[in-house]
Amino acid sequence: MDQQKASEKQIIIIGAGPAGLTAGYELAKLNHRPILLEKDDQVGGLARTESYKGFYFDMGGHRFFTKVEEVKKMWQEILGQDFLRRPRLSRIFYNGKFFDYPLKPVNALFGLGFWESIRIALSYLRWQLSPYRHEESFEQWVTNRFGKRLFEIFFKSYTEKVWGISCAELKAEWAAQRIKDLSLKTVLLSMFIKPKKTIKTLIDQFDYPRRGPGMMWNAVKERIERHGGEVRMNAGVIGIHRNSNGIESVVVGCNGNKETIRGTHFISSMPVTEFIKRLDPPAPPAVLHAAEKLNYRDFLTVCLIVNKPDLFPDNWIYVHDPDVKVGRIQNFKNWSLDMVPDPTKTSLGLEYFCTEGDTLWNMSDDDLVSLGRRELDRIGLTSASDIEDGCVFRVPKAYPIYDSEYRDYLTIMKEFVAGLPNYQTVGRNGLHRYNNQDHAMFTGMLAVRNMMFGEKNDLWSVNTDSEYLEEIHDNVDCEPAVNTVKEAFAQVFSKLDRVAFGLSIGTVCGILLFLATLVLVLKGGDVLGPRLELLENYFPGYSVTPSGSLLGLGYGFFSGFIGGWCFAFLRNTSAFLYMALLHRRAEHQLLRKLLEYV
Amino acid sequence: MAERESLEEIVLTRLVRLNASLQGIVTGLVAGLGVFIATNWLLLQGGDVVGPHLALLGQFFIGYEVNFVGSLIGLAYGFATGFLVGYSVSHIYNWIAERRENKQKGRS
Repeated sequence: MDQQKASEKQIIIIGAGPAGLTAGYELAKLNHRPILLEKDDQVGGLARTESYKGFYFDMGGHRFFTKVEEVKKMWQEILGQDFLRRPRLSRIFYNGKFFDYPLKPVNALFGLGFWESIRIALSYLRWQLSPYRHEESFEQWVTNRFGKRLFEIFFKSYTEKVWGISCAELKAEWAAQRIKDLSLKTVLLSMFIKPKKTIKTLIDQFDYPRRGPGMMWNAVKERIERHGGEVRMNAGVIGIHRNSNGIESVVVGCNGNKETIRGTHFISSMPVTEFIKRLDPPAPPAVLHAAEKLNYRDFLTVCLIVNKPDLFPDNWIYVHDPDVKVGRIQNFKNWSLDMVPDPTKTSLGLEYFCTEGDTLWNMSDDDLVSLGRRELDRIGLTSASDIEDGCVFRVPKAYPIYDSEYRDYLTIMKEFVAGLPNYQTVGRNGLHRYNNQDHAMFTGMLAVRNMMFGEKNDLWSVNTDSEYLEEIHDNVDCEPAVNTVKEAFAQVFSKLDRVAFGLSIGTVCGILLFLATLVLVLKGGDVLGPRLELLENYFPGYSVTPSGSLLGLGYGFFSGFIGGWCFAFLRNTSAFLYMALLHRRAEHQLLRKLLEYV
Repeated sequence: MAERESLEEIVLTRLVRLNASLQGIVTGLVAGLGVFIATNWLLLQGGDVVGPHLALLGQFFIGYEVNFVGSLIGLAYGFATGFLVGYSVSHIYNWIAERRENKQKGRS
């Protein structure tokens, strides 16, 4: 694209998180000079890296793991040698003990002790024998599959910490949705196709920038600026003007001043709800109402510097202890040694899930550091006296909430946004989707392709609901073999027609008996077929005579039909039960990974 | 297989087809080996009169006797008969299943 053509477009990108920066970078590579507007004082959005006294803190912990080739290429392009391959370890911390994650039965039972294991087994049996008839809540849904005791230990407290509502109130569909993609194909193939070694490696390991994701996003910012683009910090968009052609300009508030920036094309990663609320003239009431109804979950990280070289080997741990508020603890040194300036110290990020404006969110930083210190001491990871310093970072709108009504409201907003031809919304909050960093980046890339090359990529369809299943799907991602095996499965597991099988067996049995009788009759002799005639005990009237052969034909057909029908029935039933068993196993395997999704 | 048809749909709606030759060979092998093993089992057991009842198979399988050579002849006869049975069952089944499936499709 030549310079003149590029200058025809004035592209404004709202938000300098992964999606916005990726879009900016792609545009810069095409010789455009986009203007990026970021409300914070640093880039990276939800994937930013904060720093305090030389320690780096990744907000949320971002594994760099993707199946999107374009994204992988960009990571390598930007980071080069600073892109590290790190081992992955994340376990559950409960009652002073570590449990493997995903849950492994033997490890869990050893860790919980004999009596607790007995309780769990009895509880499992009890709920298998007499499950909830209607699975309306998440609690009922999980209990029916794992038993109440296991639910209480491994699901209840963490889920409630993350989402802030009781598991009895959380809808069962929420969990059911997580495994809706568990197709029969996946289940069957995963039983028979060996996982790819390379994929397995990526599950046990991940890539990570030497100084956290912020290192990546700062480098992208520099590259955009080097290409003539502009990244304005502390530039929150407070108004968006629209006309019949779409978006006309945005009003930016910066240090108390307002500035209107006109553009021809707009890409935004700001929360779609915020975008709707800032429109001028305002969006229709139904759209505004929908924007009011979408909710988010926020979190804050209490960052603590511990005067110890090593605490635990995990990258992060899930804290299931219901007596403490902390939900997850990041050990940044295990993400990258360069996250910590002094090797004799360790930096932890205690993640508290909350809602903007609630008690936890409003606590002072000092109080939060004290809380973190106390809780760390209480669960026994380290003593309070070893903690020498701390700070707090708040991350608003970290998780879009999928409640029972969100889909309807999101549809209203999607339809409205579709009516703005020069505007595209990208990223996790722009699309209100539980997207990971890589998918957010990919939406930025696709938005640029739509804008520059007239492609019709649907950004709303880039999502990570299926990503939750990535590992089980990866295990069976052997495309050349898949179709052949699928064909074979279709052959093996399709139903055997009971009537057709009965008729065919009946026909052959009838003819065999008919011929056997007739052969003996034709051979003749004083006593014809004394042994075959014993069949009369079962087939009244049968004899080794010409007329008996006809009767034998009928009897043979009849008994053969019943035998064949029953065989087909039993074969179909056992095939179905086998498939159901496989499905159940795969469902359990997947559910063990539910916490990561939570 | 239609590209968009999921395995669930196939499994739940389609009827399995039997491979007649394969079915014939399998049934033939089972029947042939059955006769072969049954004959030799009686030979190993021994006795004054060896396998008087099994010897009745000679009425249908000309040349069959309860001795080792007979067991080989029985193997061949058993295989041939089994093959015919398996092959015929599969052919008849496939023919009926095809017609029933078409009829069902026509209705829907």
